[in-house]
Amino acid sequence: MVRARVETVTRALIRRIDGVIRRPLPVPPSRWRRGPLRAGAFTSALRSERLTSQLGLWLGIAFGICFVTGFLSHAIQHPPSWFAWPARPVGLYRLTQGVHVATGLATVPLLAAKLWSVYPKLFAWPPVRDLAHALERASVAVLVGAALFQVVSGVLNVARWYAPMTFFFTAAHYWTAWLAIGALLLHVAVQLPVIRRGLSGRGAASGADARAQAGLSRRGLLAAVAVAAGTVTLATVGQTVRPLARLSPLAPRRPDLGPQRLPVNQSAIGAGVVAAATDPAYRLVITGPAGTVRLSLADLAALPHYTLSLPITCVEGWSADAVWTGVRVRDLLALVGGPADGPAMVESLQAGGRYRTSVLDPAHVHDPLTLLALRLHDEPLHLDHGYPCRLIAPNRPGVLQTKWVGRLTAVPR
Amino acid sequence: MKAVRICLAMLGTLAMGYAVLGAVTDPDDRLAGHLSFLLAVQAAHDAVVLPVAIGVGLLLRRYVPAPARRVVQAALVVSVAVAVVAVPLALGYGRPADHPSALPLNYLRGLLTVLASVWLVAGVMLIGTRLRARRPG
Repeated sequence: MVRARVETVTRALIRRIDGVIRRPLPVPPSRWRRGPLRAGAFTSALRSERLTSQLGLWLGIAFGICFVTGFLSHAIQHPPSWFAWPARPVGLYRLTQGVHVATGLATVPLLAAKLWSVYPKLFAWPPVRDLAHALERASVAVLVGAALFQVVSGVLNVARWYAPMTFFFTAAHYWTAWLAIGALLLHVAVQLPVIRRGLSGRGAASGADARAQAGLSRRGLLAAVAVAAGTVTLATVGQTVRPLARLSPLAPRRPDLGPQRLPVNQSAIGAGVVAAATDPAYRLVITGPAGTVRLSLADLAALPHYTLSLPITCVEGWSADAVWTGVRVRDLLALVGGPADGPAMVESLQAGGRYRTSVLDPAHVHDPLTLLALRLHDEPLHLDHGYPCRLIAPNRPGVLQTKWVGRLTAVPR
Repeated sequence: MKAVRICLAMLGTLAMGYAVLGAVTDPDDRLAGHLSFLLAVQAAHDAVVLPVAIGVGLLLRRYVPAPARRVVQAALVVSVAVAVVAVPLALGYGRPADHPSALPLNYLRGLLTVLASVWLVAGVMLIGTRLRARRPG
């Protein structure tokens, strides 16, 4: 009885809302319908539901990959309470972040072609039919803006060109990713029937029209977009796939170029640590439940050393293998009674900066591959690589591989 | 399908809401700059980039003979995509003075190398098209 009544009321409510958002809005006078707003203003016979759906499918996959890998990278750097990032496999972050940047760059021609294919819709007449249409157009505008924002800011960040970016990149890129993925899901929900029609082979342009224009066919354009994405990838991916470095004249980094044959993201001068890092009175301060010890470079040299190969993996998409020699972090923490299952804090000699400190979670603290490295490629660390000692741990973003380490502290759980 | 669409729409709206809430409450997110850049890239794309691209397409249709048109169009698609990625590198504003291992290459030369390769392939394809057109039968 009650249930039937609720149902009736709900139905009435839905009808009422539907009536409001579907109520036709007045059509602007037709003399305003000029330029691109005219019927037939766009003449390419190449545009079709099928082309748009296929480009959209590829683009959707690319955005999905970028969203998941980007979310991972953000969560590793700002872990929510439910999130834990393992220390193994060693190269997992290298893979996810390499894929993130490579996919983002390959998205450039995809997004361009997709937006071209739907450009006439921007000049639909009447501009808004009803409230529902207005909402849909607004959500598409959000999607287009967010997608362009992500690709443009990503390209600028890879080129380290921060001046045109009127925002803090990592925060804005992260929140815009949520905006883009949300608007994308909404867009798919709205367009699902059209997408199904397009992907099933219906909704193709008339082949005769396209042939009459003698330009690229739909398949030809898809192939050109694929070649463009492939060319961009090949020209840049050598920054992380070393065997391809010679084929990548546009790689923002070369894995073997830099002091001690390894690239640097922040120099000692840039970090303002030259004096502190070269001070003969330098001591590494280690604090734990059993107290504090201060180790000079000679003390550190007397501890057991290990040599191992670990990559530096930058959030900007480059990575490079290197051979490090140093003391295990878990051995250092054992000197001060650090618990076997707790996290630790690593602090740089830098006076400030966003990445002055980093927290090692228990999985990394106790991994035998986690070192405070004193040597790189069998030479003392270059000042720009973090002399006198730096953190190097498996499966960890470069910005968290703290350089110029001054303090190591066992953090109570 | 209706249930799928409703679920997608709700998830999408939630994610967008989360994005707005996150951006507004994140002290690191400089909201005015964030929003103005978002509008600026969209305006630049819709009002400048695409009209120019479509104008170039119309010029191709008028001035490039039919058999060659497809090849030229495809080569332009590849060239523009490469240029979007390469030009910010080639301009070199991001090159730090204090450590040359960031952006260590000559990116103008890199861009020209890639473009030359693309147009070399396009040239070979054009010659192939021409030969095929001449062959009788």
